[in-house]
Amino acid sequence: MEFTLLWAALTAIGFSWVGTRLWTDRLADHPTDRMIGAAVGGLVVGRLVAMALQGINPLIHPFDILIVRGGVHTGAASVGAIVTYLWADKWRIADLDATAPAAVLGLAGWHAGCLWRGACLGTASGLPWAWAEPGSAVTRHPVELYAAAALIVAAWLVSRLPWRLLTRAGAALALVGLVRLLTEPMRPSLTGGPVGWYLAAVVLGGLAAWLGPRLAGERGTAPT
Amino acid sequence: MLKRSLVLMLILVACGGTAAAGPDDVRGRPDLPPTTADEFEAHLGGIDRPAVVNVWASWCLPCRSEAPLLNQAFAQYGSQIEFIGVDVQDNQTDAKAFLAEFGLEFDHFFDRDREVVNFYAGIGTPVTFFFAPNGELFKTHNGILDERTLALNIDELLQLGS
Repeated sequence: MEFTLLWAALTAIGFSWVGTRLWTDRLADHPTDRMIGAAVGGLVVGRLVAMALQGINPLIHPFDILIVRGGVHTGAASVGAIVTYLWADKWRIADLDATAPAAVLGLAGWHAGCLWRGACLGTASGLPWAWAEPGSAVTRHPVELYAAAALIVAAWLVSRLPWRLLTRAGAALALVGLVRLLTEPMRPSLTGGPVGWYLAAVVLGGLAAWLGPRLAGERGTAPT
Repeated sequence: MLKRSLVLMLILVACGGTAAAGPDDVRGRPDLPPTTADEFEAHLGGIDRPAVVNVWASWCLPCRSEAPLLNQAFAQYGSQIEFIGVDVQDNQTDAKAFLAEFGLEFDHFFDRDREVVNFYAGIGTPVTFFFAPNGELFKTHNGILDERTLALNIDELLQLGS
């Protein structure tokens, strides 16, 4: 059963690889490798924080870290992924701009991977394209496919932005947060979802896109 | 830098975790009532609302991860849905320590020989069964629950009831 997660992860990698072929301008070497490393780093940090918040001590139960389905903290995973990417890229912040569209496309792939996992559906809906869980008569929004489609558009939008420090990376973060924020009400949840973290992504991403070029000088610096 | 990050991470995870339940927490708890498949089926048949039955064991690693989720669901939907735990292939002391550690306050039964799980054709541990009112099996989820799966199936049960 856990192999469905693996298929979803492979779909994400495939999408991000396509992104690195579509938007090659100013990309550093081996961008897909770095993105995979960043995703793994984010996953580990997010899982550790989720375990700590669930009251499970990773030092006493280290193998619980492997049980990803038990929960991954969204905010910590995002921070962990960005820091891991920067660490792997020798802290060249400007490279984030070149990678941003492919990373957003990779996230779209992760959401589209719901088709492998049988986990696309959200809240009940009577819309013509809604479908039902096996054995159920309740049709539901395919919310993860909405998110995937919106992220594909977001990746394209990011790729059209000018080359100024953190403009693309900041916009990517803000757009990903916005897509998650807008689709969250359609996701079944016990907690309402990590809406605060999505809002933080929108605000911080917007701030980065606005401040980056100003801090780097009027014209900004582009990755080389 | 890497060394500092590792130290920081270790401090974080060490602070975040809770200690296992002590002997006093366990001694004060009554034993879990044993059950057979027939008794359990009869019990479910007498419940006039949907039920979520979670099969767990103290030795089961994934059960540790889903326990806080079940607690959250019980706090939120405990008035509309019956939550029941079935402890399998376990001993009473470890089972009570597990319950004390995670504070799972809904009813639990003790099923040493997995009779209940086998009766409803569940596979492995954990398993979660979703029942319509009066004990009709609606869905079986083999393996660990994530928040979305639990929330979606609870929503399905509530739609059944409405």
